[in-house]
Amino acid sequence: MAKHRGRGIAAIEYPTGMNQNGDPSQCWIKVKPDGRIDVFAGTADIGNGSKTIQTQIVAETIGVPYDWVTYDNSNTDSSPLCTGTFASRATFVAGKAAEKAALQVRQRLLEIAGKEMEIDPADLEIVDGEVVAKGAPQKKMSVADVAAAATFTHGELITGTGAQLKPYAAIIDPETGRVDKPPHSAISYAACAAEVEVDDETGEVRVLRLQQCYDVGRAINPTQVEGQIEGGAMMGLGLSVLETCYPYYPDVEHRGGAFGSYLAPSMEEMPQIDTILIENPSTDGPYGAKGIGEMANNPQPPAIAAAVYDAIGVWITELPITPERVLRALEEKAAGRHEPRREGKKVVFDEELSVNTVSSGGIRFEVPA
Amino acid sequence: MNLTVNGVAREVESPPLTPLLHVLREELGITGPKAGCLQGGCGACTVLVDGEPRRACLLPLAYAEGAEITTVEGLGTPERLAPIQQAFIHHYAAQCGFCTSGMLLAAQAYLARGGSDDPEEIQEALAGHVCRCTGYAKIIDAVAAAARGDSFDLTTTAVGKYTTVTTGGRA
Amino acid sequence: MKVVGARIPRYDGVAHVTGRTTYVDDVRVPGTLWAKALRSPHHHAGIVRLDTRPAEEMKGVHAVITHKDVPLNVYGHLEALGIPADEPLLAEDDVRYKGQPIALVAAEDEELAAEAVERIEIEFEERPALLDVRKAFDPDAPRIHQWGNWYPHFEGGMDRRQIRKGDIDWAFAHADVIVQGVYRPAAVEHCPLETQVCQVVPEPNGRLTIYSCTQALYFSMGVVAAHLQVPLNRLKFVGGTTGGGFGGKVDTATETMTALLALKSGRPVKWRWTREEEFLCSSTRAPWHMEIADAVTKDGWILGRKMLTLHDAGAYARFSPYGVTKHSFHHTGAYTIPNLHFDGYVVFTNRVPTTAMRGYGVTSVSFAVETHMSRVAAVLGIDPFELRLKNANRIGDTSPNGVVYTDPSTVPTIQAIAEAIGHELPAAYRTMTNEPRSGEWLPEHLVAQLGTPEEH
Repeated sequence: MAKHRGRGIAAIEYPTGMNQNGDPSQCWIKVKPDGRIDVFAGTADIGNGSKTIQTQIVAETIGVPYDWVTYDNSNTDSSPLCTGTFASRATFVAGKAAEKAALQVRQRLLEIAGKEMEIDPADLEIVDGEVVAKGAPQKKMSVADVAAAATFTHGELITGTGAQLKPYAAIIDPETGRVDKPPHSAISYAACAAEVEVDDETGEVRVLRLQQCYDVGRAINPTQVEGQIEGGAMMGLGLSVLETCYPYYPDVEHRGGAFGSYLAPSMEEMPQIDTILIENPSTDGPYGAKGIGEMANNPQPPAIAAAVYDAIGVWITELPITPERVLRALEEKAAGRHEPRREGKKVVFDEELSVNTVSSGGIRFEVPA
Repeated sequence: MNLTVNGVAREVESPPLTPLLHVLREELGITGPKAGCLQGGCGACTVLVDGEPRRACLLPLAYAEGAEITTVEGLGTPERLAPIQQAFIHHYAAQCGFCTSGMLLAAQAYLARGGSDDPEEIQEALAGHVCRCTGYAKIIDAVAAAARGDSFDLTTTAVGKYTTVTTGGRA
Repeated sequence: MKVVGARIPRYDGVAHVTGRTTYVDDVRVPGTLWAKALRSPHHHAGIVRLDTRPAEEMKGVHAVITHKDVPLNVYGHLEALGIPADEPLLAEDDVRYKGQPIALVAAEDEELAAEAVERIEIEFEERPALLDVRKAFDPDAPRIHQWGNWYPHFEGGMDRRQIRKGDIDWAFAHADVIVQGVYRPAAVEHCPLETQVCQVVPEPNGRLTIYSCTQALYFSMGVVAAHLQVPLNRLKFVGGTTGGGFGGKVDTATETMTALLALKSGRPVKWRWTREEEFLCSSTRAPWHMEIADAVTKDGWILGRKMLTLHDAGAYARFSPYGVTKHSFHHTGAYTIPNLHFDGYVVFTNRVPTTAMRGYGVTSVSFAVETHMSRVAAVLGIDPFELRLKNANRIGDTSPNGVVYTDPSTVPTIQAIAEAIGHELPAAYRTMTNEPRSGEWLPEHLVAQLGTPEEH
């Protein structure tokens, strides 16, 4: 009886925004008389941090300090449409709408400043809350004064609107799955190495370390990116070794109706999580960002399954990899029944799980030899 | 029945077997403690009862009679945040925020009894508190930082312990 | 000053740590009634008799609703994407999963509402349940859905999502080795700390204010407006602050029914699911059954892939056809495989309908294809890093449905992990980039699939 260590890897990709696109997000912005900025968007913050991210994008794009910007996503009377916070789209799609709205505001601020300063707006920029003449930084006017001039001199409300929509990619050939345009906006990538320790007496798999590399395009807020990656890693760990609604799937009995009988990852299961971020910018996302939220729980299960094989020489391909499954697989291996069937050039694993075994002929998986 | 909540003496009318959480949320309107499961399983309702962390969803009011109750509202205000609250902000230990008040109070009790910055001891102190968002790493970092007595810059957040950022691609 | 790229604290961080963030359960409206649901105790049954009068007659009960109270009871959340409606908001003649809502009560408090639910009289006629997706196609399988046991409404009236690319027979004929495996990730619960919760307030001007924990305010507003058959300006969704979602709060699981109770009673109504309801009655991540056969060469080129996916949708379609389509578009993972034959079915079973969850459609296929890659490496005796890098998608390669990859990062992410764990790669793999294939990385079998990035 012993504990065995193993390591496995996985590499994955994940599309950003809804599959086939067609999912709009909108944003509008108004400027107060003192130059402070109010952003209205319909993006729910489910913990992912989109309130912060979209506020950062607006502040950067207009050129004002972060704390000049307020963000309101509280209701559908004042906020415009956002398809929603899912499909890794809150930064990528909704953030782009916020950037577009902010660009309009910036442009109008420059135009009004141009009138006040009698300088061509094309020769002006906004830096840290001040409109400054390019190459002549002594010529400047605060954004607060520009907003006041708009309000009280020009009788104007400065607003900006932004909408992001990639058109829906229709499937034009259902035989082959061909589409009439790209069905995704950007693809994110990741790789992961998992280190596990398997106890061959209890069957328990402990995940010791996850080393992960994600291409996030651009980390608008690196801390929040880490937060998504670490949280996703624990959810991926749960998928791998702990969680199931139906412990004896497809049986529907034995469901856990409480914490403790349903095994969500707890603090004591936490491995060391090392994160490497690569910033390979996207063309469609705000400041080159890609989505990170969802893919963060995708690479761990296959890396952990491979690590378990590396540790104890058995492939467990039904999740989660519970102690019971580990012990049963080790028993099979000891009895010489875990090896794949070899026939000609075929190497066939998991035959007991296949439709070819379980179905009474309703559906088959035919593989040419 | 009488109890003290966040330093204020309160008289409450709920029957003695009413869970303390119900008294706080529904009778007194103190909504910081959350009804995450009402089964004692998640820790989102944790409050301090005479300084000890207790799951308010299972604790009958009668057991809290005369006690000093501290909820997250009593830890600190936006203007005067307690060190553990500052640590949670600086270390990004809250995402959706629903588990946060329970986590904070369990952590506060740990700090009050002189808990160290050792991650294993922190894990033991917060065991049984479920967070589905953070993966716990930054919660442990936050509690450790508060245990060390760090001071916190609330205009920025801490760099993850094991993070590197590289720029790649076709530039 | 750079704001983008800065480690700014959460916008709502101070509110979170001081208990000031207002979640739906924290909204206080005087005179609010509590809702409770009568749910199916059976996996599959006909409803023979339903009498709500004993509940309606109770003092303190202000409204009871059944399917008869819903202006449009059957509405498909993704009808705009061509997925027809199949699921009733409240069960009509039958129930198809344990926990399915049949009727709701609004009463003065939670206990009274629960008691009223108990008083509702209902008789069922139990029917055989279908639980194993692999047996759904068998001639003797019980038929459990009006469309049959699997979804028949893909484009062109097809009963499955297909991908076909290249020449699959050529790939298997020219393979040195064929590796087959079966992959079955589990259903899991989203498990947000905040359970499903909703509060609806009827306003004097005839509007409804709906405090919602939805992940998608406008999407959910559209769903409620459709069921109620009202224009959007009759509704005001208040939310945007959600206590964890992970996909499960796109379902709009509570808003319509709570709104109907508020309309019928004329009172504010709140419905908060218990943790047990959240675990047992809310939608889950889908269980998937995936079979893969890869045609590979001895030196590690993947010539072709044949794949069968059976997606366990549970009792109704919800977003499943969307999920299987997304799944099919990514069934080669981060690699370029020129010859493909994929069939994916949305299969109905008598379990809680499954829905979107973090990584929808792809978490499953990432597990399957990546575990399979590790197996192929082990069978061939090839380093798993090298196998992956060799087949990694590159600029100019094409996806399963022929879309050109413009800037994939498969190569640099794998190289970064090799370096992080100290795995030494041979020079040819260490210096590989994502630039278009050439030389030894462009064998004859990969030429025909190439596209040009400008076509993107």
